[in-house]
Amino acid sequence: MRKIIPLAFVLLVLTANAGWAQRLADQPGYVPIEKLDLFPADKLNVEINLEGALLKLIAAGARAEDPEFSSLIDGLKGITVQAVPLKDVDAGSVRAKIGQASRWLEDRGWKSTMRVREEGTETYIYLKEIDGAIAGLTLLALEPGDEAVAINIVGRIDPEQVGRVVENLHGPHIKRVPASGKKPE
Amino acid sequence: MNRPEHDPFCEEALDLLEPYVDGDLPAIAAARLREHLERCATCAAELNLAAKIQRELRSLPQLDCPPEVLEKVQRTGRGEVVPFVPRPRIGLRIAAAAAMLALALGGGVLFLHVQQQEERPSPQEIAQATAEARYALAYIGKVTRRTRTNLREDVLEKRLVAPASRTVSQALGETPSLAVPSSATPRRSDKEF
Repeated sequence: MRKIIPLAFVLLVLTANAGWAQRLADQPGYVPIEKLDLFPADKLNVEINLEGALLKLIAAGARAEDPEFSSLIDGLKGITVQAVPLKDVDAGSVRAKIGQASRWLEDRGWKSTMRVREEGTETYIYLKEIDGAIAGLTLLALEPGDEAVAINIVGRIDPEQVGRVVENLHGPHIKRVPASGKKPE
Repeated sequence: MNRPEHDPFCEEALDLLEPYVDGDLPAIAAARLREHLERCATCAAELNLAAKIQRELRSLPQLDCPPEVLEKVQRTGRGEVVPFVPRPRIGLRIAAAAAMLALALGGGVLFLHVQQQEERPSPQEIAQATAEARYALAYIGKVTRRTRTNLREDVLEKRLVAPASRTVSQALGETPSLAVPSSATPRRSDKEF
């Protein structure tokens, strides 16, 4: 009996914390964008943090209207977006931090899928593969005179499905969004 | 064959029955006992009863004694004091473990349920979150479309327009004027998404 009581107590604690065991930060495709300190927090014009049950609710709500989008969202664990207008910040500093972030990703096994530098514009897309499946996507982009953006999508990602979904998401979706008067494009 | 009255051997005969049944009685004593049994029906009946008990005992299955019990018996036999430690019954222990497990699972489920209830967003919040998710994906689409377009233009300029212009200029004996713009070259494209 003396051995059983501590065992049951441990089980109680573990079960009670089961919800925390599935934290977004524990997912292999997760990137702590806020910890990478890419952009000044007070200058962000877009900040999105979607995870867990909210993504399931989004998927459920969109199932009838847009099954492809719903299916894509249903497989995700988290979406994080940060954007900052470059007119308000030191573009050189942001460029340097994006470079550091790309090295941070490569050091942690992220694979560069797209890397474009032209006329001051920088675009990086990294994928995290686990057992042959994509578990995360990270986009880092900087457009001089416009804005810098970091996006991390965590979860089961099918690139073809992402391609099909984004084909249907043009300007209106970009212009419509963000909360609290945040602007893209 | 009744018991002879006041036969002094009857009491001795009853003591000899058990070793006789076990085959441990010396031959002379056994012969003397048999002689008495022929005369005494009561002692003969006792012998039959003792033999029957022995047969039934031998027909019972043999059980192994648990080593700890055996050890305690041996220690007791040696005159050692063996402390008595009461052991809870196995059924009670299993029931206690099951109750604790049920409590743990129930507590966990209740915790998660309360947590989900507290965090359940409103329809407006879900609509806002949906727009945000579409925004994130649309941004990826915007970047990949822009990059794809730039890549296409890059390939066209480098591989078709510039070589063609050089060929035409050479044919005309002129210095090529349609060189690739320097701004288009400092570009590094690993591959398309």
